Amino acid sequence: MRVTNSRLQSLAASFKPRTSDVHPTPYSWINTSVPGSSTGKLAGRSIAIKDNISNEQAPTSCSSSILQDYNPPYTATCVQSLISEGAYIAGQTKMDEFGMGSQTTHLPPFYTPIHNPASPSPDESLRSAGGSSGGSAAAVAEGSSWAALGTDTGGSVRLPASYCGVVGLKPSYGMISRRGVIAYADSLDCVGVLGRNIDTVEQVFNVISQPDEGDMTCASSATRSIASQISQQHIPGNGIEGFRIGIPRAITQNVPPSLLDYLKGRGAKVDEVSLPSINRALPAYYVLASAEASSNLGRFGGGWFGSPLEREDAREGESGEERRKRIRTEGFGREVKKRILAGTWALSADEFNNTYLKALHLRQLLRREYQTLFRIPHPLSSPGRISNDGVVDMILHPTAIRTAPILGKGKEAAKGSNEYQQDLLTVPASLAGLPCMSVPSGKGSDGWPLGVSLTSQWGMEGLVFRLGRAVEEWARGL
Amino acid sequence: MIILSRWGFARPPILPFLSGSSRGYATTKKKVIQGEEEWETVIGLEIHAQLKTGRKLFSPASTSYGEVPNTNVNLHDAAFPGTLPVLDLHAVRLSLITALALNCRVNPRSTFDRKHYFYHDIPASYQITQHYNPLARNGRLPIIQGENNVKRTFDVGIHQLQIEQDTAKSQTVGENTLVDLNRAGTGLMEIVTEPDMRSAEEAGAFVRKLQGLLRRLGSGDGDMEKGNLRVDVNVSVHRHGTPFGTRCEIKNINSVRFLQAAIESERRRHIQHYLTSPNQPIKQETRGLNELTLETFSLRSKEEAMDYRYMPDSNLPAVVVDPIYLDKLRNDLPEMPWEVIKRLTETYGVQKRDVETLIGLDEYNFDGIRYYEDVIGVNGDKKIAKKAMNWIVHELLGQIGKLPPPWSPTLVPSTLMRDMILLIEDGKITGTTGKAIIKHLISTSSSTSNEEVKLEEVLSTLGIEINDETSSGGGGIEMQKLCEQAMANQPKSVVDYRKGNEKVLMRLVGEVMKLSKGRADARKVKEVLVELLK
Repeated sequence: MRVTNSRLQSLAASFKPRTSDVHPTPYSWINTSVPGSSTGKLAGRSIAIKDNISNEQAPTSCSSSILQDYNPPYTATCVQSLISEGAYIAGQTKMDEFGMGSQTTHLPPFYTPIHNPASPSPDESLRSAGGSSGGSAAAVAEGSSWAALGTDTGGSVRLPASYCGVVGLKPSYGMISRRGVIAYADSLDCVGVLGRNIDTVEQVFNVISQPDEGDMTCASSATRSIASQISQQHIPGNGIEGFRIGIPRAITQNVPPSLLDYLKGRGAKVDEVSLPSINRALPAYYVLASAEASSNLGRFGGGWFGSPLEREDAREGESGEERRKRIRTEGFGREVKKRILAGTWALSADEFNNTYLKALHLRQLLRREYQTLFRIPHPLSSPGRISNDGVVDMILHPTAIRTAPILGKGKEAAKGSNEYQQDLLTVPASLAGLPCMSVPSGKGSDGWPLGVSLTSQWGMEGLVFRLGRAVEEWARGL
Repeated sequence: MIILSRWGFARPPILPFLSGSSRGYATTKKKVIQGEEEWETVIGLEIHAQLKTGRKLFSPASTSYGEVPNTNVNLHDAAFPGTLPVLDLHAVRLSLITALALNCRVNPRSTFDRKHYFYHDIPASYQITQHYNPLARNGRLPIIQGENNVKRTFDVGIHQLQIEQDTAKSQTVGENTLVDLNRAGTGLMEIVTEPDMRSAEEAGAFVRKLQGLLRRLGSGDGDMEKGNLRVDVNVSVHRHGTPFGTRCEIKNINSVRFLQAAIESERRRHIQHYLTSPNQPIKQETRGLNELTLETFSLRSKEEAMDYRYMPDSNLPAVVVDPIYLDKLRNDLPEMPWEVIKRLTETYGVQKRDVETLIGLDEYNFDGIRYYEDVIGVNGDKKIAKKAMNWIVHELLGQIGKLPPPWSPTLVPSTLMRDMILLIEDGKITGTTGKAIIKHLISTSSSTSNEEVKLEEVLSTLGIEINDETSSGGGGIEMQKLCEQAMANQPKSVVDYRKGNEKVLMRLVGEVMKLSKGRADARKVKEVLVELLK
């Protein structure tokens, strides 16, 4: 589905990436150099980069005051891969500070906001593009970039994709190198891809899904070939005939019945499945992600890199510790500070067993539940096996619990714990490290985009793309 | 009195154990505390040994010592955003062989954790270490009576061995704290012992033995002066038969002498405490050692202890060691210093300290030991084993002394040394000749390599002929002839000697040496002359 509505057309001028101190825009930095001629799989393609992915050409600030004007001295492996295949880096996109948020509203005070470009009419209230990769999703949706890289820790690619009506892939954990990606929660962070359609996403994914000796969690060539072998042997061909699709009973949001009929008509089998741990995924996610964030963000404020604020000398009579406290207090936004505090608490000696370890245990339970559900064996745990005892190949459910929320302080705006509820449907795949892609699935009753999520066994991106294309074809007929 | 001031006790008269004049305890430490033997000191060590890999544990930056500050720094060492650790597997291998040499049980699956704290010396605000699943556990290192003057043979248990990162160095200059990241991220092994040592000497013996072990394995250089091996020591004191006392930790000790001094100072402080406040446990705290006064001082108490918020590091996969690989590493372990001492002293009856001298020539590859074994031959020629030790350790090393050239296996090639010793033993050349040969080779080594030199060449260069006529021991017919000739040449000396003037014997010896052109063995000549003069 293409986002070509009247509102977007009226904003034809914004099809070019732009930054602005006045107008809303997805970009925090744009590449002003003229794209030269290039060769490679992505020759001539303009791709936007989320502002937590290091790019030597650009300041990479994670939309945080504490990293304002930080120029990374190196470029992330995934960005290097794009460039060496001829891609043109269009710009860096705004995000919820350090990836913490789901509406791209946790921005430094001097940033202009991002508006969801998928509005059905010009009279509509302004809506959120989703987050935390809201800038990347909006850049693709408004058409100013062909594709965009985002990062997804608990849904940060899939949720904005759903809200903005584009395709958003969170690959299996470890498929795309994280070297150069500024960490929020290392055990969950994945580089994701956003594009107007699955072909685009797949093309970008194939370029950046590579082994990397600079990231020990990045899958090796050997593991990748086992995974592709399993995927080919399990359900040969290109269509979805023989696919077994599970709809989780625990998730009450309805999947469009016409979609299920369509998939059945194409030869897939659809069944309800039980994933009881899904309901406990959200608290587990917030404990683990916050704990890891409190660790990863400890480096900021020490004066080693980053903004002039961070590098500023101690003030008169200020100790090193006081200086660090001041910089961290001023440099981090509210949401980031909240999660750092929560994570620090979860890791404290008195709470560790009851909080962090319990969350880890819930994560284990959830992983096991997924594994018993899949027919396809996990390429890492049982190489050589091509069949498992499970019942499904793919899990399908709505990406979000609603269409994009209205921006602002009004009644309809999602705030606080409501904002966390948005992650309910996206965090399970993150905790389990599974590939999950949001594909546009038509419009809600309010005329705004909806998306469905397709989750499969680790390393089965190929199957996810195959089912995704079927969903795309169904949506085209809507 | 010196000791009392160390403890900070102002008033000796209230202490019941002080008797007699104050002179007594200032000079004889052992008498200071009455009933000292009632107390037992319990000592455990935490040792940080730098892994000798040449690079950092998680980054490719070099670890060379003494460089310009902040030049051996990779972005990861400075914790730049988005950088990831890449574990050096060579460091893991060195740690594994160290664990095996310490008889540890290697954990089939070990993992890395983060230890969090905010300080200038740790840019990431966490140190990567192994808290929950260390590389290895349950080892032991046997200490033999006599090592470092210890009074018993016992095992020091190894609680665990883990791999971790070193911190940066920070120093305060004026109002600023300056940080040098050259050391940041260097790989360390932390070796934690059980509290099995009972005296400063025992703790010293353990550290010395561990240094030898690390060097032999090549896993560390054990250099305490450079800070490549640092020791934290836990000390508690209790009366025999009662439960262990409260322990105090003394941090960052950088020599064996300071280690022993710290334990001694701490032991006395604890005993003093229990004598003056018998019902109060001593305050558990972390202490430092004042290297000038050799007293410990309080750094921080237990109440101020930090919560390090240990958390698994998900950037690093678990280290899973294949049992077959582990067996191979175990089988390939080299002979340890104490093993070679035992073998050589038992097999050849050589002196322990001489073997130690050979080990000291090259603690890493045992070039000295290998040289000795080359000299005595493949299967160990027992006949010349002791002589060879003497020639190498006392003659060769003695002549080299502390001057250049340093010893090397090619200075006096082992085959030449062996041939020379065999000729001496057969009486075909004298010991004096042997010394001359060694002297010659040392003096020529600076201009030419001795590696290919044959004994015959040296002998001919020095104009020495091999005495083929002498029978065994060099005291044969030839020697006797020379002595008789000398006596004939110096009849007055013979008469004087027989009158009782034994000093003239040396004149006769000198005559024989002249006749033999210096090749005769002066000691043997003396024996033969004494016999003939009877």
